[in-house]
Amino acid sequence: MNPGQSPDWLLTTVGAVRELMVKRLEAESLDGEAKREMEMALEELDVMWEELQGQAALLARENGRYAEFFQYAPDAYLITDAGGNIREANEAALELLKSVRDEVVGRSLSEYITPPDRVGFLTRSVGLMLGGTVKPLAWCAQLQPRGGGALTAEFSVRAIPLKKSGVGGLCWLVRPAA
Amino acid sequence: MKAELEELEAMWLELRAQVDELAGERQQYYDLFEQASEAYVVTDEHGTIADANGAAVDILQRRKRYLRGKPLVVMVALERRTEFRRRLRALCERTPGAQASWRTIFVAPQLRMDVKVSARLIERERSVGGICWHFEALA
Repeated sequence: MNPGQSPDWLLTTVGAVRELMVKRLEAESLDGEAKREMEMALEELDVMWEELQGQAALLARENGRYAEFFQYAPDAYLITDAGGNIREANEAALELLKSVRDEVVGRSLSEYITPPDRVGFLTRSVGLMLGGTVKPLAWCAQLQPRGGGALTAEFSVRAIPLKKSGVGGLCWLVRPAA
Repeated sequence: MKAELEELEAMWLELRAQVDELAGERQQYYDLFEQASEAYVVTDEHGTIADANGAAVDILQRRKRYLRGKPLVVMVALERRTEFRRRLRALCERTPGAQASWRTIFVAPQLRMDVKVSARLIERERSVGGICWHFEALA
């Protein structure tokens, strides 16, 4: 969606509804009173569309701005779903994991943790999901990027509602330990 | 007439649902920015502040409303501004060797703060769409 512009679906639906109302208005079967009522309804509808259109354009613009922040934040951020699978990863995270987006999205985040630390990592993750805490927690674990040496990283995590579904997910901030 | 009204209602509900979905999507990214424990600021490529999250407001010691539209460099101590501008220009011009992270000093009324700033360019179709900044207050 192009931020700042009305989404296509909005314009399509507005057009369809207007057409429906106009057709009804033009029908010969309408008496004077019914015609006036339809005209008034059409005007009201126009106002509502404008409001909704404005709301959608603002949301699209803001969504674009904050999505861009996520994508280009200087820190590595990942979003996982209830199953621990990566839903989103920003540019810094892809660099840290030495992977491209298609390789990362859909994989379990625990696959990027070295085997000795994996059980502990999973235990904490599941605990967070079950506990549903919104407070950020942090701990260190060995990160295993693809085709690179393991490194100690600090994982800060907090619970977030995932977009669209609204169900619980986790937002991870991953930083190489100093 | 009844059938048309039902169709109209269905379209309206669909439209409303799509706007709600958009709102939900926007909320997720907004929360990630605003509620992050780390201090983040988004500027344009000239360093003019577009947005600052709560943690950044705490570091910069200014109201969010004041920050919007101000050049980030005015938060930097006078003696460090030339260096800040030079680094910002090098970053945006993608000068080889340009560093994305450095130390500087932020000033606020009755306060001087040693900070580490990290920057990342927002890429938009091969041009710079802005900069995401991270600030870390140093002891």
